[in-house]
Amino acid sequence: MKIKNNHKAPKMSLDYFYQWWFKVILCVTFIFLYAPILVLIIFSFNDSRRNITWRGFTFKYYEKAALNDGLIDAFINSLTIGIFNTLGSLILGILTALLLWRFRFPFKAVYEGIILLPVVMPEICIGVALLVFFNQIGWANNLPWPLSLSKITFAHILFSFPFVAIIIRARLATFNLEQEEAAFDLGASPGQVFTNVFLPHIRPALIVSGLIAFTLSLDDFVITFFTSGPDTITVPIKIYSMVRFSVTPEVNAASTILLLITLCAAGIALWVHRAKISRIGKL
Amino acid sequence: MMKQVGSHRLIFWLTFIPPTLWLLIFLLIPLSIIGSFSFSEKRGLIDIELSWILNNYIRAADLIYLSTLIKSIGVAGITTVICFLFGFPLALGIASAPPRWKSILLIAVILPFCVNLLIRTYALIAVFRTRGFFNFGLEWFADLINVPFEPLSLLYNDTAVILGLVYVHLPFMVLPLYAGFEGFNKTLLEAALDLGASKLELLTSIIIPIITPSIISGCILVFIPALGSYLTPELLGGPNSQMIANVIERQFMNANDWPFGSALSMVLVYLTFGILALRYLCFNNLYLDKNKRRL
Amino acid sequence: MKLFPGGHLSRRRFLAGTGAVAAGLSLISRQAWCDETPKLNFYNWDTYIGETTLKDFKVASGINVKMDLFADNDELFAKLKVGNPGYDLIVPSSDYVERMILADMLMPLNDDMIPNRFNIQESFFDASFDPGRKYSLPYMWGTMGIGYRKSKMNSTPDSWKWLFDSDRYKGRCALLSEASDVLGAAFKYMGYSLNTKDPKIIKEAEKLLIKQKPNIKVFAPDNGQDLLLSGEVDITMEWNGDILQVMEEDPDISYIVPKEGSAVWEDALAIPKGAPHPENAHRFINFILEPSVGAKIADFIQYATPNKAAKQLMPESYSKNPAIYPSNETLSSCESSFYLGADVVRLYDEAWSRVLSA
Repeated sequence: MKIKNNHKAPKMSLDYFYQWWFKVILCVTFIFLYAPILVLIIFSFNDSRRNITWRGFTFKYYEKAALNDGLIDAFINSLTIGIFNTLGSLILGILTALLLWRFRFPFKAVYEGIILLPVVMPEICIGVALLVFFNQIGWANNLPWPLSLSKITFAHILFSFPFVAIIIRARLATFNLEQEEAAFDLGASPGQVFTNVFLPHIRPALIVSGLIAFTLSLDDFVITFFTSGPDTITVPIKIYSMVRFSVTPEVNAASTILLLITLCAAGIALWVHRAKISRIGKL
Repeated sequence: MMKQVGSHRLIFWLTFIPPTLWLLIFLLIPLSIIGSFSFSEKRGLIDIELSWILNNYIRAADLIYLSTLIKSIGVAGITTVICFLFGFPLALGIASAPPRWKSILLIAVILPFCVNLLIRTYALIAVFRTRGFFNFGLEWFADLINVPFEPLSLLYNDTAVILGLVYVHLPFMVLPLYAGFEGFNKTLLEAALDLGASKLELLTSIIIPIITPSIISGCILVFIPALGSYLTPELLGGPNSQMIANVIERQFMNANDWPFGSALSMVLVYLTFGILALRYLCFNNLYLDKNKRRL
Repeated sequence: MKLFPGGHLSRRRFLAGTGAVAAGLSLISRQAWCDETPKLNFYNWDTYIGETTLKDFKVASGINVKMDLFADNDELFAKLKVGNPGYDLIVPSSDYVERMILADMLMPLNDDMIPNRFNIQESFFDASFDPGRKYSLPYMWGTMGIGYRKSKMNSTPDSWKWLFDSDRYKGRCALLSEASDVLGAAFKYMGYSLNTKDPKIIKEAEKLLIKQKPNIKVFAPDNGQDLLLSGEVDITMEWNGDILQVMEEDPDISYIVPKEGSAVWEDALAIPKGAPHPENAHRFINFILEPSVGAKIADFIQYATPNKAAKQLMPESYSKNPAIYPSNETLSSCESSFYLGADVVRLYDEAWSRVLSA
């Protein structure tokens, strides 16, 4: 039984959130994080090709973005790669985290190091290595969509799943093994133990690392550049090659739209999650 | 217990094979290509001949490159520290928020990262440049209190690079810490409080020691990518701000010297292994589970 | 939404365009055309094509052009170095054409399929980087020089001195960020050739730059013109086309080629080896070289066109603009940059590393 709202005994579950220092740090951080985003959104309505100084309000760049086939194709590619990457990274990441947390095997420390390699090596190095590798093994360049995105997706999974593994593993360090033993004693199969005991425990880590994997994929430029070809352009590559001549408000407009879509998706996910929680609460 | 060991063997192979296969195919084989490049030399514009020479490594030991490497380590280190100083209280606060706020705050931390890095950096530039909004705001404020104002030159120096790196890597510190806090056993806190611990003691004696694996994870997830970052120093840095990844990028692109670029990259790889080995030696006991089984 | 290459949208257009094809561009044998799917993978710089050129080509020939973008010659080269990922037509700069020819990465052009090449000005018929123009044809050209804000200058900055050897504009000047560009300009300032190979002169240039470095605000990779426009710097080293774009937005900005001379650049159309649709690529090159098409492109992107027939169709505001077409006097002091060989490239890179870490 928890003692609620006892001013003399601050609890982790309630008190830190209301401290003044937390609120200050929160404000400063969010202003820092969001000021550029606000500028981005405001300038998407700027009536100026170079988008440096404000010249007037207009919607025309939203129209241009919506009609820009190349940009739309790039969006679709990026989202597709992002989704597959998240799925693949989560699966591989869970397996890796379990492996490292549970088992001993020779050269385990070296193995841990190797897993972190995709994170540490300069992206250009991995990019070139993959470029040469795919070329040597003769990976076909004209597969139909979405298989044509496979090179990029595999490369993204490569550098995403270490992040997932690290986060899940840190979370597993707080796992209470007695829960697992109890479940086995009650007659559960390993599969049931996995889904009903492990997964719920690591769920926050799953969500967090899934989000990280998705954004890593959405944002990656260098490795994607080296593994992409005609018809497999993603948003960062498109934007980076536009930089030389035109970071026009069109790019801002496209980013704002993407932001809104993500916000909606997150909002829906949140609403579903809460509906589930309240349903469970009613049982 | 005995029953589980047997079934563990199957689970072991189940968890071992997929990641290992992936690493083998998509990392180690390409990596060996880079490794072989580092011992090779250029033959004309395209060809690279494996001649098992150490020239590239000897060249990499030159002072220019070493000093750039050391500087990169310094910048990445400062970035990590700042991320920690902001990320720790942030994660703590979010973890102790009521459930409704928790998800909202988390999403609010992640959302900026759905905007492409390049665009975000350009927006950052728009805010902090000499005729940017930050300076406009300061100028307006200075006019208000009638103080002479000189616009701050915030960009195109090392500070700007660090700021940019913190901006990019903050979630990689906040999220692992948050994940760690979420699994925190609150009964420990209650017990400590009952025993009369002050808030500070709570933090130092209980929270930090238990959450250390998450802290280390967060630090590694920030330090290592920051070390290898190249876009941020290129866009925000001044004439003095080049980092090791910029040098490596030039070798693969402009200088068209893939063998040398590979050698420099391998140096980074060895460095990472060194850091991880250090972590293993110093902190491995923290990964013991609660029942003190050495895993 | 074009999800599949040659999706249903282009197939419909293809049927409609068959009639147009029969009427137009009859110079290419129809049999050759039937061998390839009506598609073209064009790898180009951003906004480096006319507003309707791709659509016009599709109407005229039924070929669907997909244009991908790259930002840098080095990117183009690195991407194609180990093999062509499927591009049919590329637009490298002259010194990269030279590299690609040396590395055997380009397909020789079939002159019979490009009769419009005689529209090009005679001076472009031959080039030292591509003797006899066997592998490439010129697309656009221009100069490198100084962009500046008129109101902030003491006098017209017609010399590299203000960027390389003076603290008059301390903290308000920017340079390009590529070794060969900056070193080349430094050589010109010191009175040597743009394509100097002598290590002693390279060392001299390096010292000059290190001495000047405290006065420089930033080495701008691609956005010197944006820095100029936003007031971050008042004088910068940039390509003429970039400065022209911001001159439109701000009449206070101007461009000049320094009196010591500078680099003149040329971007060329070339077909990489392993292109899946080389014949379509030839047809597209021929299409671009038509006077009306060339004029439309030049009008939209405002660069100097080597197509004399197209230039004649352009208004005087374009053909007499000194920022686009420099005077003959200015041109005589400018040089093209060549590929100087791996050793010199390495010397440049090391000098540049030293400048950056000083």
